Amino acid sequence: MKALYIASTGMSAQERNVEVISNNIANMRTTGFKKQRAEFQDLLYQTHRRAGSTTSSQGSLVTAGIEIGSGVKTAATPRIMSQGNVNPTEKELDVAIRGEGFFMVAMPDGTTAYTRDGSFERDDTGQLVNVDGYAIQPGITIPGNASSVSIGADGTVEAFLDGTSTPTQIGQLQLARFVNKAGLESAGDNLFRETAASGPAQVGTPNSEGTGDLLQSYLELANVNSVTEIADLIAAQRAYEMNARVISGADEMMSATTQLR
Amino acid sequence: MIENAQLIGLSRQIALQRQMDVVANNVANINTTGFKSEQLLFEDYAMPVARDRDFRFADQGLSYTQDWATVHDLTAGPTVQTGNPLDLALSGEGFLAVQTPEGEQYTRAGSLQMDNSGTLVDLNGNPVLGQGGPMQFTPDETNLTIAPDGTVSTSEGVKGVLRLVEFDRPQDLARGGNNLFSGGTPRPATDTQVVQGSIEKSNVSGVSAMAEMIRVQRSYESVTNLMQRQDDLRRTAIQRLGDNNA
Repeated sequence: MKALYIASTGMSAQERNVEVISNNIANMRTTGFKKQRAEFQDLLYQTHRRAGSTTSSQGSLVTAGIEIGSGVKTAATPRIMSQGNVNPTEKELDVAIRGEGFFMVAMPDGTTAYTRDGSFERDDTGQLVNVDGYAIQPGITIPGNASSVSIGADGTVEAFLDGTSTPTQIGQLQLARFVNKAGLESAGDNLFRETAASGPAQVGTPNSEGTGDLLQSYLELANVNSVTEIADLIAAQRAYEMNARVISGADEMMSATTQLR
Repeated sequence: MIENAQLIGLSRQIALQRQMDVVANNVANINTTGFKSEQLLFEDYAMPVARDRDFRFADQGLSYTQDWATVHDLTAGPTVQTGNPLDLALSGEGFLAVQTPEGEQYTRAGSLQMDNSGTLVDLNGNPVLGQGGPMQFTPDETNLTIAPDGTVSTSEGVKGVLRLVEFDRPQDLARGGNNLFSGGTPRPATDTQVVQGSIEKSNVSGVSAMAEMIRVQRSYESVTNLMQRQDDLRRTAIQRLGDNNA
């Protein structure tokens, strides 16, 4: 009797499901967070009697065979890369992306990571960095005498230097986009890394080539919808309970067998 | 010697165990996108040789239980909105066609992805077929839209039409795991619409699966009881007969 093992695959799948949902809920207020969804697939089937095999010399066929499944597996936890809501913050170095692109972050190990979290700061040298102090690529240094930094929808960074009345361009933000955004690897700290599945990053200026445009003084909220997450959580919990019930049912059947004399 | 009653009980127990496996598989897949539940059918197997004609009245034929088929319950599962443009639900009886190493296979699980070459794929990385083969997109394309008839368009215009198939005899389909069905004789769908931004959940109903499970469990117990009685009967017979001889 495989029912015990089948139900245990169901329980571990639902456990995984609850993990994914709880991570989504935990990150409900994380800037630029993209929610994940656990996707399940059925496991292999054992064919006891094959549909379409011949049942008589007259050529009659088995119309429907016997296939016994062996449970469920977690196939993937793809990220849903939909746009999150944007929220005004009144902070001049907060930038939200409206569209498909990612900011590029120079990691200490020399690699590049990608993020939707545009809550930038300037460090002691005036360089534009993320909250962990990693430089944004391409590097932009805001001079000490600059005031009123403005970031345009197309990524141009301008500032008034020394109280001049005309703004000076001090840099140009660029965005990366991927053929398969859902294939990016999550690195934590709101960062993603390029993988073979995502394809190479294609760097472009904002507002062109489908990268999306920038919104200064806004931040992108997580795209987690609390109502659907809670509904999914309830469904996962009930599914877990039902699988547990199947295990105890199978157990009772087996105990009935052992009581046979 | 084992008596017929016990053998028949045994055949029923084996069939019920297998049915429990089917129920367990349905419950395990209660959250699997596009999963179709399975039902096990039984038939009785009349045993023509196990007869004793020495009595005045011939014995009745013996009926063994035999599991006969698992049928796919292809009723639609509930559709849930996700807002993800690469999530498709199918309304109607059709299937999406995907290209696998074993040839064309069919699925109702419409949570699709884009791979690194811009090909539309399912969760296993198998290309989803359009009417002219796999659907390919360039990196610059945005705003993927899929119309109810399966027409796929992006910012670059119409890219093709998804291959949607229906089956006259869907019970011929074999399950291959990974949410895929294979075999059967597909024909172009006439009655199937694509709903973008939604997925079809499993059509397993928790309540009926639990009720079915309890029924299986109780029938198993009653067969076990029956066999127990049969055993008692035999024991008593042996004792009585043994006493008489002594």
